Amino acid sequence: MKIAVLVKQVPGADSPLPIQSNQNWVDEGAVAFIMNESDNYALEEALQIRESMGEGEVVAVSLGPDRIQKVIREALAKGADRAIHIQMDTEGVIDPLVTASLFAQALKEENFDLIFTGLQSDDLGMGQTGIILGEMLGMATASLAMATELGDGKIKVKRELEAGWFQWVSLTLPASVSIQSGLNTPRYPSLKGIMGAKRKELKVVTPNAIDATQSLEKVYLPKSEKQTVMIEGSADQIVEKLVETFRNEIKVL
Amino acid sequence: MSEREVLDLDVLFVGAGPASLAGAIHLKRLLSKSGTEASVAVLEKASEIGAHSLSGAIVDPRALRELFPDFPDTDLPFEAEVSEEHLYYLTENKKIPFPFVPPSMSHHHCFVTSLGKLTRWLGNKCENEGVDIFCGFAGTKLLYEGEQVVGVRTGDRGIDKNGEKKPQFEPGADIRAKVVILGEGTRGSLTKNLIDRHELMQGCNPQVWAVGVKELWQMPSGTVPPGYVAHTMGFPLGQAIFGGAFLYGMQNDIWDLGLVVGLDYQNPGVDSHHELQRLKNHPWIRSLLSAGKMIAYGAKSLPEGGWYSIPKLSVGGAMLIGDSAGFMNGQRLKGIHLAMKSGMLAAETTAEALATGKFSESDLADYDSRIASSWIRDELWKVRNFHQGFDRGLFGGLANAGIGLFTGGRGWGIKNRLSSEAGHKKMQKGVKKNRYQDLQFDGTYLFDKVTDVYYSATAHEEDQMPHLKIRDQDVCVSKCTEEYGNPCEKFCPANVYEMLPDGDGQRLQINFSNCVHCKTCDIMDPYQIIDWVPPEGGDGPVWVNL
Amino acid sequence: MMDVLIVLEDNNGKIHRMGLESIAAGQRFSNEMGLTAGALVLGGNADGLADQASAYQLGEVLKVNDALLESYSADGYSEAVKQIIDQENPTYVLFGHTYQVRDYVPRLSAKMNKPFLVDNIAIRVENGQPIFTKQMFNAKLSADVEANSSGPFLVSFQSAAFSMDAVAAGSASIRESTVQLDIAMIRTKSEPPFQEEAGGVDLTSADVIVSIGRGIGKEENIPLAVELSKALGGELAASRPVVDSGWLPSAHQIGSSGQSVSPKLYLALGISGAIQHVVGMKGSKNIVTINKDPDAPIFEISDYGVVGDILEIIPKLTEAIQALKN
Repeated sequence: MKIAVLVKQVPGADSPLPIQSNQNWVDEGAVAFIMNESDNYALEEALQIRESMGEGEVVAVSLGPDRIQKVIREALAKGADRAIHIQMDTEGVIDPLVTASLFAQALKEENFDLIFTGLQSDDLGMGQTGIILGEMLGMATASLAMATELGDGKIKVKRELEAGWFQWVSLTLPASVSIQSGLNTPRYPSLKGIMGAKRKELKVVTPNAIDATQSLEKVYLPKSEKQTVMIEGSADQIVEKLVETFRNEIKVL
Repeated sequence: MSEREVLDLDVLFVGAGPASLAGAIHLKRLLSKSGTEASVAVLEKASEIGAHSLSGAIVDPRALRELFPDFPDTDLPFEAEVSEEHLYYLTENKKIPFPFVPPSMSHHHCFVTSLGKLTRWLGNKCENEGVDIFCGFAGTKLLYEGEQVVGVRTGDRGIDKNGEKKPQFEPGADIRAKVVILGEGTRGSLTKNLIDRHELMQGCNPQVWAVGVKELWQMPSGTVPPGYVAHTMGFPLGQAIFGGAFLYGMQNDIWDLGLVVGLDYQNPGVDSHHELQRLKNHPWIRSLLSAGKMIAYGAKSLPEGGWYSIPKLSVGGAMLIGDSAGFMNGQRLKGIHLAMKSGMLAAETTAEALATGKFSESDLADYDSRIASSWIRDELWKVRNFHQGFDRGLFGGLANAGIGLFTGGRGWGIKNRLSSEAGHKKMQKGVKKNRYQDLQFDGTYLFDKVTDVYYSATAHEEDQMPHLKIRDQDVCVSKCTEEYGNPCEKFCPANVYEMLPDGDGQRLQINFSNCVHCKTCDIMDPYQIIDWVPPEGGDGPVWVNL
Repeated sequence: MMDVLIVLEDNNGKIHRMGLESIAAGQRFSNEMGLTAGALVLGGNADGLADQASAYQLGEVLKVNDALLESYSADGYSEAVKQIIDQENPTYVLFGHTYQVRDYVPRLSAKMNKPFLVDNIAIRVENGQPIFTKQMFNAKLSADVEANSSGPFLVSFQSAAFSMDAVAAGSASIRESTVQLDIAMIRTKSEPPFQEEAGGVDLTSADVIVSIGRGIGKEENIPLAVELSKALGGELAASRPVVDSGWLPSAHQIGSSGQSVSPKLYLALGISGAIQHVVGMKGSKNIVTINKDPDAPIFEISDYGVVGDILEIIPKLTEAIQALKN
């Protein structure tokens, strides 16, 4: 059982996000990076599958410049068996068709049974790479897995749907599944894990460039052209105006 | 995974600050030269190196040059060489330059530096030397065999706010080491225990601290000269509170503005965060900053006691380095070079100990001797009474410092050693003048504490017990309110402590999640009932370039 | 023949609300660009959906009935929509950003090697070309995205980015079309969907959130807010001080150490607007604030503000809303 887990290094939830003066991207020099949250859950799910099967290989794969080695080593410290670093400068690269193609280049020959990705990255939030990769490699796909069950050459996935609904889907292998946060409890790396990470294989590959089909024009702080409408009067008058606003302006009643 | 992990190492440094990292690099090189195999690791409670590092800073390159003699200055991780320096006395509206800068306070040939950047750089070099750096692990207990330190236990992970084990509970690991070197920084928690247990402060002046609070301001392109240095005294602290401000020009048009406030003031209402906001009201500061945007905030205490407040530095199996030991030159406002050198000297003692296989107290006392005959001692000896002079107020302190220049550091020119008292004891009871009556936070230039805390990017696992242990909370809601007016609300720069109404009385709420690990509360609480212990590993600020 | 094809989704026999929102988006977009717009419904039996869709101002409604589309599958739906796109050759294909769309449209994008511009909160036209705006970094920043290839372009819209009330009614003809699907290419088998007791509180998919801050005063007042949230059909949330005081579990917390939300309506009651809270909700489509402090920073980011006593207003508001419903 060969499982690839795609991990991405992204700015942490509390990291400053200063925008470059040309608005092309954020100033990465001032950013505090971490492993993408849902990728952490994806990694844990893969490790648990390997453990419950008593055999198999979990390979951490990541795309980006040198700084991403930190999350790769974190994945190795947590228990991934080996890792692949697809090295390139990813600033300004937002097209999931491009990133998936780059992963496909690096992973094609390996014939993974399973590819796990986080449901989306906390920086770009495109939510597509894992599914596109599945299509490119001829795999069945499912998104937003809240639970997985392996058996009989298939994987069953509990898909999250709208408003508290769920659906079990059975997929033939090989399959690429995107994982929702919260489906398991990610482990902490142990000290021995951290020491051992240095001795595990970390293959660095340089991909062939691919043309983008969509690109980032600029990033900016969300516009707040708020003209606050103050509602005044007695409590009863205020309530009346609020109900009217909810009904006619905001349309929630 | 519920079994306690046990790891056997040769040398463990606690705290990935400049002292430990320089020490680890130096040790690995010494071992490599002598052909000795030894495992060396560094334990760091932050999620990554540099996340808990905060300083001004102006670095004297002396230690870095010793460690990396072949590196040109351009390869060293500085912001810029000090290009101009100013010393001002501030009144509320005016800025009066000092007629000259005394050479011992000069920062010539020193470098404006971000400590976060420096430690990350050192961390890289350290890993290249084969040192294991364990980030996200807090050292919470020293391991002993008799009176010999034999290792460090890390904190448990996965305990909820009621003290119950969560599903991902993992007991802390026991790291056994022949030598444990504590470089935890200011007011280290293991250091505090070591000092108490072995009475290492016997015969010393009590340590005295200050707290530094700072904000980084992003300015428009081309408006900040990197290497600009200004220090000020006077406003806003006035004559009776030790301290002063610093303003450094960093790269990328960032102004680094900070205020150092001595933690030995008398007025229990003093609030270092508020003082920093008052400082920004000064027209000169306002003219520099108002076109920019505040991008980061942080605070950290610093040891000011000087040479006579440095404890005995070694016991069987353990040594103290850096700010944990108190190596800071208060007059020059520099400690990073001393920290690094102390780490390197501890490395030398350690290398010898590993060669002989002996780690007893008398073996490791070699470190104390090395310190005593090093340039650390030479430098600190000259300013050994610096802080103590300020017991007589600002001008007394300056006079004492000035006389000290000519008398090799004697207190008031005559006394070899001025005595001093612990800072928290100086706090006076009773309500004092409210220094912040006219202070208004507008949220765009002057920020309230809660807003500034947001810019320290600090976060803690919410579901854990507070890491600020208060031995008797009854004191907080009764005695302390009457006697001191709950100074914790004021001296904490991160809004951790809040007195809230509770029925007819009040209760203490501990917003531990805001904690920036400055240790001020452990230092300044007048009853000394607050114990700062490390929270779960990985928690705390995530400073990038502070 | 349509330039803009709007793909609608079945929600228990009715057009999914987000599909209606994408019709609103599509109508506006095609007017601005001078293009024709049509809708696509597909399923085992999409007749009912087709009838519903024909009541809107569209060029035409395309209907595809196929037994292999009775049960949703990523393989089936991506292949079916691809074939329709090949047949009809629209330049833009619009979707609501539903869970289903997230599941199959990336496959469609890969099959066609055409970009899927996702989760947009706005589109504007500049020099005859569309610029798509999406949120990044959990809505802390906005981003303008452009397509670099030739069409067709796959585009999805965030919930409530467009209002379904803005949909223009009309009368559209229904045309049936067919696709060729092979059961062998469908590699997944779905069981019927089911509902589960919400283990946690998922505020991120709520359209209405009633959020309380320190101004609620004490734990005993919280039921007032609960009643209001029920009346509005929304979820209850809180700022940090409420959770810290132990009055609500942390699952309800919104802000930098809680959840980030952008609902249609965020009703902030007794919340001052500390930045730690604001970063978790300022992307909300409509922010209504009630606070007795006129200087509370939250007013600056609010669409509607009331300076008043929440303890007085909340019960009256709840009553008035309940009366409306009866």
